[in-house]
Amino acid sequence: MTRDLLRQTALLLVIALVPAIGQAVYYRDRVSWNAPAVEKDEVTIEQARAWGANVLWVDARPDDQFARQHVPNAVPLNEDRWDELLPRFLETWSPDRRVVVYCSSQSCAASHEVARRLREQAGLPAVFVLHGGWEAWLEGNK
Amino acid sequence: MNLKARLLFVALILGALPAAHAQLAWEKTELEFRPKLGEKEVVAQFRYENKGTKQVTFKNLKSTCGCTVASLKKNEVEPGEKGEITATFSIGGRTGLQHKAVMVETDDPAQPTLNLQLHVYIPEALSMQPSFVYWQTGEEPKPKTITIKAGEGVAISKLDVSSSIPDFTTKVKRGSKDGEFLVSVQPKNTAQALTATLTIKPDYPKTLYASARVTPPGSLGDFR
Repeated sequence: MTRDLLRQTALLLVIALVPAIGQAVYYRDRVSWNAPAVEKDEVTIEQARAWGANVLWVDARPDDQFARQHVPNAVPLNEDRWDELLPRFLETWSPDRRVVVYCSSQSCAASHEVARRLREQAGLPAVFVLHGGWEAWLEGNK
Repeated sequence: MNLKARLLFVALILGALPAAHAQLAWEKTELEFRPKLGEKEVVAQFRYENKGTKQVTFKNLKSTCGCTVASLKKNEVEPGEKGEITATFSIGGRTGLQHKAVMVETDDPAQPTLNLQLHVYIPEALSMQPSFVYWQTGEEPKPKTITIKAGEGVAISKLDVSSSIPDFTTKVKRGSKDGEFLVSVQPKNTAQALTATLTIKPDYPKTLYASARVTPPGSLGDFR
């Protein structure tokens, strides 16, 4: 009796495992239970793309990384040279463009800090952070 | 429980014991700094000692910010050996409380990763709020105010403001608190697009720059 029950339970588990594995393989690039949630001031690459030319991209990474490669037409604005770069950025800004700040990878806090300073110190109204950062942009442009 | 099962249980417990203690003992994993005005960087030293019986190898050091560079003298730590990880944080244009971390990866199974944290309070000689004022073309050219405040230990008694173009006028008056000044900025008219840099010079060796613009209204509407 107990042995039968165990056998049936094991069989059900195996049956459930087959579609679970299939789904994990099929959706491996789309869904991740480890992926950090999108924070309230963040936008995904899909949302930012949908805004088209009305986005002003801001690169919060260090100068050498910006020089190597960046989002086309992005403006450099990092905290290493904040006082120098901010006036240049403000010359480019216009009220019809949403600002999307990115840095490198999800662990980088620089984009959130730059976005916060643009909102609080410069008083800009529509400033967002790119969820997943530079890597998300690269991934979205493969 | 039969004898075999008991022996297996004891073996499992004994096997797990050495893994329960990390070999590297850290003096501190969090450090706090209060650099003085004008200092360019903060150097933090995280000291460790290998209190285990095996060599520990550092596999990776990763900083959460390009502004913090972590370094080691050597990757292998012999039993009983002491050493340190040096993290150099460049202040740049950062202000206020900053939290930076260095993630350490070792081959010690009891503690394969560890976060070393730096908390740095960067003083600000002068603060400006906001650093940018703007009007949309056709908007009524009402004056807008920029507030300048002296930081802790900084005394200013006078402030001069000039605009890079004559299309903006500026006036300075004292604020309600010590070391506070209110800069009123106003475009002469908002008929056309204008961009100006406002140079703010207090009687203190630091110059601030603010931006003033008259900009065409956006097609998406005003976000304000």
